[in-house]
Amino acid sequence: MRKIIERALRQAGLEQLVVREAGTGADGLEQLRSNPVDLIISDINMPTMDGLEFLRQLQAQKLAPGVPVVMITTESSEEHVKQAIQAGARGYIRKPFTAEQVKERVLPLLKSA
Amino acid sequence: MKLNGVRSSAIASGRGCGIQQTENGMAQSLRKSIHVVADPKNLDASVDEVFKTMLGIDCQRDPVVLSTPTLGGPGTVTAVIGFGGLLSGACVLQCRSEAAMLIAAQMTGMEFQEIDDTVKDGVGEICNMLAGAWKSKVPGLAAGCGLSVPAVITGHDYDLHVQAPEFELRHSYRFGDASFTVTIVCDGIQ
Repeated sequence: MRKIIERALRQAGLEQLVVREAGTGADGLEQLRSNPVDLIISDINMPTMDGLEFLRQLQAQKLAPGVPVVMITTESSEEHVKQAIQAGARGYIRKPFTAEQVKERVLPLLKSA
Repeated sequence: MKLNGVRSSAIASGRGCGIQQTENGMAQSLRKSIHVVADPKNLDASVDEVFKTMLGIDCQRDPVVLSTPTLGGPGTVTAVIGFGGLLSGACVLQCRSEAAMLIAAQMTGMEFQEIDDTVKDGVGEICNMLAGAWKSKVPGLAAGCGLSVPAVITGHDYDLHVQAPEFELRHSYRFGDASFTVTIVCDGIQ
């Protein structure tokens, strides 16, 4: 999924972005301790630590305060989206997605960062 | 192959997403509407949606369903997503290595000569999207059924067997010279 998102960002015209990848939620949290970022994109359905738990940890540990988080999810129900927003996500992208949809969700958040 | 692992994972996933709250209310209607749940058109529509949107590929339904021995020959990739909650079972995507590498190449823009982790992740992700798209087409199932994380199996001479399923949909599709089979198997519905 990381490669797909990176490709979608580049296809959407955001070639200049520097993308950092994390294989797991724990890896992502670790990287954020020493690497400031403008935007976080996370899948919800992940092994070990799912995306919602990652969001909770992100806030509990006060890592990347104010940085917008976009969740990617296969789940389309209102309940899932509500949970992501309540956990602190600023947006979500439903799979399957086009590069244009990624751009629509990501660009406004990057501009406001 | 047993699906217990992926199913447990899907049930656990569902618990965090409000399934428990809706389970009792939805139980009766899902079993009553099993003909809607098992409608083969939903599978075709899901494959069409996922492959067109994510890969830009127009798939054709193959009138001949590829048999497991054909798929189980040398170099086969199988991705499994478990369903848990109101419906238990799995979504299974099976293809030969060549098709798996084509799918991953189309997703990432990279070229592949072997089945590496990126190819496995790509096929697992497509299976995840197929499972999500399929369940979203059945009213009540989107919120009442959780998905596991993907399990991907590679190898040859293996079979997938589920005992006494409630229903099974098994369709093969073709794009270019490549083909793949998607199976939705339900072994429990409330």
